[in-house]
Amino acid sequence: MIKVLLADDHSIVRAGLRRIVEESGDMQVVAEADDGREAIQLVEKENPDVAVIDISMPGLDGLEVISQLQIRHPDLPILVLTMHEEGQYVVRAVQAGAMGYLTKQSAPEQLVTAIRKIHEGQRYITEEAAESLALRVAKGSDGKSPLDSLSMRELQVLRRLAMGQTNREIARAYHISIKTVDTYRARLLKKLGLRNNAELSRFAMQNQLIEP
Amino acid sequence: MKLRIILIVLSLLAFLSASTGGYLYYSSLKESALKEAERQADQRLRTIKKNLSIFLAENVKPVKTLAGMQTLRLALAQSNAENLAAANATLDHFKKTLASDECYLMDPDGNTIASTNRDAPDSFVGQNFAFRPYFKDAISGYPGTYLALGTTSGKRGAYYSHPVYAENRYAPVGIVVIKASIELIESQLGAELDEIVLVNDPNGVIFISNRKEWLYHLLWRYNQNNIPLIKQSLQFGTGPWNWTGLESRDDHILDRDGNAYQIQVVELGSNYPGWNVVHLRRLDAITQAVIEPLIKTTGPIVLALCVLIGIAVFFLYRQASHEIRQRRSAEKALRSNEERFRSLYHHTPAMLHSIDPQGRLVSVSAYWAEVMGYGRNEIIGRKLTDFFTPDSREYAETTVIPEFFKTGFCQDIPYQFIKKNGEKIDVLLSAIADRDTKGNIVRSLAVSIDVTQRNRAEEALKQAKEELGLYSRDLERLVRKQTEEITNILTYTPAVVYTKDKAGRYTLVNTRYEELFEVRNTEIRGRTDYDILPQKVAGQFRASDAQVLEEARSLQLEEHIQQSDGLHTYLAVKFPIYDESGAISGVCGILNDITAVKKAQTQLRRLSGSIMANQEKERSAIARELHDELGQVLTALRMDSVWMHERLKKADPEAAERALTMCRLIDKNIEDVRGMAFRLRPGVLDDLGLVDALEWYTADFEKRTEIACVFEHNDVSSLDDGISTAAYRIAQEALTNIARHASASHVEVALKTRNGFLTLTVVDDGLGFDALHLTDSEGLGVAGMRERAALVGGSLDVQSQPRKGTRVSFKVPLDGQPGS
Repeated sequence: MIKVLLADDHSIVRAGLRRIVEESGDMQVVAEADDGREAIQLVEKENPDVAVIDISMPGLDGLEVISQLQIRHPDLPILVLTMHEEGQYVVRAVQAGAMGYLTKQSAPEQLVTAIRKIHEGQRYITEEAAESLALRVAKGSDGKSPLDSLSMRELQVLRRLAMGQTNREIARAYHISIKTVDTYRARLLKKLGLRNNAELSRFAMQNQLIEP
Repeated sequence: MKLRIILIVLSLLAFLSASTGGYLYYSSLKESALKEAERQADQRLRTIKKNLSIFLAENVKPVKTLAGMQTLRLALAQSNAENLAAANATLDHFKKTLASDECYLMDPDGNTIASTNRDAPDSFVGQNFAFRPYFKDAISGYPGTYLALGTTSGKRGAYYSHPVYAENRYAPVGIVVIKASIELIESQLGAELDEIVLVNDPNGVIFISNRKEWLYHLLWRYNQNNIPLIKQSLQFGTGPWNWTGLESRDDHILDRDGNAYQIQVVELGSNYPGWNVVHLRRLDAITQAVIEPLIKTTGPIVLALCVLIGIAVFFLYRQASHEIRQRRSAEKALRSNEERFRSLYHHTPAMLHSIDPQGRLVSVSAYWAEVMGYGRNEIIGRKLTDFFTPDSREYAETTVIPEFFKTGFCQDIPYQFIKKNGEKIDVLLSAIADRDTKGNIVRSLAVSIDVTQRNRAEEALKQAKEELGLYSRDLERLVRKQTEEITNILTYTPAVVYTKDKAGRYTLVNTRYEELFEVRNTEIRGRTDYDILPQKVAGQFRASDAQVLEEARSLQLEEHIQQSDGLHTYLAVKFPIYDESGAISGVCGILNDITAVKKAQTQLRRLSGSIMANQEKERSAIARELHDELGQVLTALRMDSVWMHERLKKADPEAAERALTMCRLIDKNIEDVRGMAFRLRPGVLDDLGLVDALEWYTADFEKRTEIACVFEHNDVSSLDDGISTAAYRIAQEALTNIARHASASHVEVALKTRNGFLTLTVVDDGLGFDALHLTDSEGLGVAGMRERAALVGGSLDVQSQPRKGTRVSFKVPLDGQPGS
């Protein structure tokens, strides 16, 4: 049995979540917290295997809760469950120490898988979030990377081109036209002073945008 | 002209006398030189003769000694080889000692038996010289001397012969001869280059000479009969004995080339009867010797003299010419002056006349007659006063004319003349007297100026002056009235008005100014701001005045002045004032109190600020409510519907399908709620801060519009909520405008903190716009951004040019410390 802690200020949501978790058969909700402070206390008390925490909670902020739990229980895998879709939240959560990130909307379909995954020590984040993280890490914050002159979308297209995706695949992934992808590609080559996709790939590897 | 001729003649005479003197001097010098040369030649000839005599006498004694030698006697007595050898040895010894040409011994028949040249090809031994006179002399018992050309040797020589006697015999047994070379003595003649020395025999044959080509020539043209005699004697070879070509003239000799020679002749001596020594010297060489030094010393003197004379003549000639010209032109000028004066007198447009001591007119100018309307013959001889009015006549006859003939001068006497037609004219008469040599006045020279017109003009001028006086009084009144009006305006206007000169000194202030700064207009004139106002206000006033003067244009600005009831704000309009020449003479300022307006403006801004803040607050609350509450509920609902779908999937597929539809509906609702909330106020801004919010917004912008959008930032942390909101909204507005109007392909958003300022810049590469021609909505958008910037104490700058993109920048001091 995987012991799960749920922290969410909405009881109705908590109820829904508990149901999803418990229907899995091999998981059990051992504690439910209304806010961040309570969540920390309950972790002390119940010693769960996995903590599922909402970022937006009254009292102690969700991200703060993650940080504190990280310090006291570095081995406790934390799954962030939130209403926010924006990638920025994912990045912050992962930076704070979360192992997984899930929107509440996709909870019915993915929550069980996510809990299982992080319990096994793996990360669970959406592909888009992962990309966002990778790009942010690659860019750094000293403002000296050659990637600084690229927009977020250009970085995304660069990464995918480097991974060998076709224009069509990229267009589909971002819901944009093939022609637009082509425009991005041309702009990338010009900005970075490269000639073709092979050079783009090499550049992406050198800048740790993709794994070799 | 005469003067010039005289000068030329004089100069010629000077030249003539100079050259005559020179010539006389030269010829006297020449004569004395010739005499001197003659004397010198004489002396020289004597010397030469003496030398020759010494030479010719040199071997007379040795030959006698030689003749006495035993060996010679023995050789002559017994001509065996032994004796001959001994004789030869003796001869050799003598030749060597005497340095003579040859010595030889002859038997009584004239045959040479021994000789110093016995071994030479032209040996004398065996030769017979019995024909020679020296042989004949010696064999006869007399020592002989002889000058001749050797018949065997072909050499000239002086032959010395002496008889050789045997013991106890009175007749000579032979003779001995010493032949001395002539060349030696000839070379010792040492003649100068320009002289010829020669020795000739009685027949005139030249035997010795320093002129070699003349040797064996005949000195003078001789009778041809002498030639066979010369030939016969064998004395001078075989001939021919040509003539040198010398001919005698009066006192000199001429050669073939026409050269003249001075000649001196002496006899050689008693041993050589008829032989002469001749000395010739070229005359021109002598003359040359005189002229050369003369020319060398006298030449430059003569030349200098000539040049001096020349210069003097030239100078005098010029001087004379100049004076002549001057005198001539003076005469001409005088003549023309007289003519001009006459013509001037008659034709000048002035009334000129002359009277004699009786007061009768002796001449008048044409103009006088013309003005008066009389013919000349009607005037001359009449009394001047006949043409006067009675008043003038009396004045003239009693006072002026007697006075004039006393002093000889009068000036500007006012008279009235009567013309022939009876018209009167006013004149001013001035006159001077013309006197004879004794100083008596013979006539007057007078000029009368017609002042009728002038008098009339003066009258008119006086009248005009009066009219002008009237007019200017009207003008003054008008000016006074207008001044009063302006003064009223200045007095009653609520605006503060002043004028200052360029140095900042007051020239005028109005009543409001007086009230405000509690000064009087009269006190303030000529003083500066620093004299009457607090230093701070004065400095402020002065700076803006200076700017107006410097830029020569009007300036609008706000001035803040501390008054008893607090700080007042004035809207000041300052402009340059110009003088008549168009140059700036000072500055005028008009200040309106806009404190109340300003206050209202500030209140309005505060109000709009609080409205905006409230709006944000409310939006935030609603957004949170929507997102967190409604969103969560919808999420929970979704979970339920999914659960239901799962449950009913097998039991009731239709209901399960309904649950799925519900789920999709809920999904859409969630999206809508999220969108609404975001538009109202993005949760990221509150939860994660400005950087994350802009990062998300720019990415979303790019996704939506497909305009490349690069967001750059440095470490921007912990911003004030108001500033964050303002920056976010400004970026949002700017990007919205770009998406709507700019047709841009690239946007750069940069957020930086530096030196206590936060700057946000949004730069696009779109169409841009003319900042002066914004549409209302665009204008409003920019105004909104500006307002937001102003509310947090920042500033907004929009730069744009058509087709060059737009740059919006927002700058705000952090921690509310502007400028730090």
